[in-house]
Amino acid sequence: MTDAVAAAPRLAVEVGGLRLKNPLLAASGTFGYGVEYAGILDLSSLGGLVSKGLYLAPRDGCATPRIVETPSGLLNAIGLQGVGVRAFVEKVLPALRAYDTAVLVNVCGDTVEEYAEVTRIVDQAEGVAGVEINISCPNVKKGGMAFGGDPRMTHEVVSAVRKATRLPVIPKLSPNVADIAVFARASEEAGADAVSCINTLLGLVIDVEARRPRLAFGTGGLSGPAIRPVAVRMAWQAARAVKIPVIGIGGIASASDALEFLIAGCRAVQIGTANFVDPGVYDRVRAGLEDYLRRHGLDDINRVVGTLRYPGLPVAEELGG
Amino acid sequence: MPSPPPVNRDAVLVSREPLDGPYVLLTFRHAEVARSSRAGQFVMIKAGLSAEPPLRRPFSILSVDPAADTFRLFLKTIGPGTHALAALAPGDLAQCLGPLGRPFTAPPAGYEALLVAGGYGIAPFHLFSEELRRAGGRARVFYGGRSAADLQVREPFARMGVPLVPTTDDGSLGHHGRVTEAVEQYLDTRPGPVALYACGPDPMLHAVARLAARRGLPAQVSLDPWMGCGVGTCLGCVVWMQSASEPRPHYRCACTEGPVFDAREVVWPGEESSRARVEAAAASTEAR
Repeated sequence: MTDAVAAAPRLAVEVGGLRLKNPLLAASGTFGYGVEYAGILDLSSLGGLVSKGLYLAPRDGCATPRIVETPSGLLNAIGLQGVGVRAFVEKVLPALRAYDTAVLVNVCGDTVEEYAEVTRIVDQAEGVAGVEINISCPNVKKGGMAFGGDPRMTHEVVSAVRKATRLPVIPKLSPNVADIAVFARASEEAGADAVSCINTLLGLVIDVEARRPRLAFGTGGLSGPAIRPVAVRMAWQAARAVKIPVIGIGGIASASDALEFLIAGCRAVQIGTANFVDPGVYDRVRAGLEDYLRRHGLDDINRVVGTLRYPGLPVAEELGG
Repeated sequence: MPSPPPVNRDAVLVSREPLDGPYVLLTFRHAEVARSSRAGQFVMIKAGLSAEPPLRRPFSILSVDPAADTFRLFLKTIGPGTHALAALAPGDLAQCLGPLGRPFTAPPAGYEALLVAGGYGIAPFHLFSEELRRAGGRARVFYGGRSAADLQVREPFARMGVPLVPTTDDGSLGHHGRVTEAVEQYLDTRPGPVALYACGPDPMLHAVARLAARRGLPAQVSLDPWMGCGVGTCLGCVVWMQSASEPRPHYRCACTEGPVFDAREVVWPGEESSRARVEAAAASTEAR
């Protein structure tokens, strides 16, 4: 065994200008504003965290019930309840600066102008590493999916956010489209530094006794292990469609789950619903990634990225990828 | 005194005591929960790391044994989460985060605490009775259920010398009727100053809140909405609240700002006109 392999394998990655100590980020909407977990796990052990979606103003969100379990999944319609970007910048961000982790802000808007304005506020704040654009929330009546379901609107929003900041800009793409590659390319053309995929899948759970939806909002967004195969497929499609890096999201709860996305071509991943189930998930996944690299004689997680051996396709590395 | 932060760890099942019907007592080892839990607090717990059931479940902490680093849960096995926990054998591991949430606040000196429980809502009142007794306070338990078989946790209160009034819908034990009727009957005997504490199904909590409002009594209720995370990040368990200090109705997380709330501040189902008014006002502002 060589020294390089005997040493702890390197987990650091670079994603569209973001330098992360490891490829694990906490997904927006599943980690609050980060500070909620500060006493429970070591925030500095994360590659990064993405804030709950933020608009200019605070929002109440949807009526209750807001969550319901599904087979190996969770259907939610929270509706982007939040404190508003200014309260986040003034009250939360100072506390997050104490941690050695990349803080990304998930930016929302009812209009293109609001996305840009929220981004300008974030851009001026100290301690923000990047901007994730929420164009894929299925649980709001305006904005959200309206921007993520039309490639021209996606281009327009990403361009506006791009002009509002020099921070890395990362649209979070919706799976509720026919061809995610179209949206990945629209994002790339509009100046995005990376794309995250996927957000939740639009779903509906019915209470058959009452013949009503289980969620007060009606439909909701499906997350958790139930959606992982769909998410891996879409992240893989996006990664093949664009040159900018892809951040994979969807049902990751173990190192093996994370590796599926990395092998499919993602440079980093976000952990979402699993945060609710096990705050110890980052330690487990990180240890599992190191173990995998050792078992495969690799010294760097980047050597796993895009190495899918797909029937009829050469391995990405052989293409010089 | 701020509570210590919750601790996430594997908790080994130390013992399992099946009770009648769907009820079971489970004792887990978890030092921090055993040592720092206060009455009304809860744990988020799940058996194993599999994707089924997807989420942990919240349970009130029934009792603690700090010397043994153990705590006890009282479960009614209803769905996949409770069944998976009830199927654990001693030595098996569960994943447990706790203690979580805000505890009950003891009443002022000289008050009698009336603890109103519906079914498995008895759970937090074991620990609360101990706390009150240690502080020299008085407690009385009103314990309602469908039938006698639903009133499984009575012995600890007898042991502590805490009077317990059972009530059943079918009359198989104690007062035949609703638990709030038994509370009213007791209040009609004109006891000294009392404070109400309630844990159980929402309609019972609502009835206790109405009773308290009618008689001008302080009341705390422990709510049990569907909970995803227990730490205020999923925003699934929010409760619509309104208070004198914050008259605009707003959502509060039951997990971090509850599960114990002042009954007067909860906007109960059917009393949501205030929310409709706020939303109508917001809509008219937007229209302008």
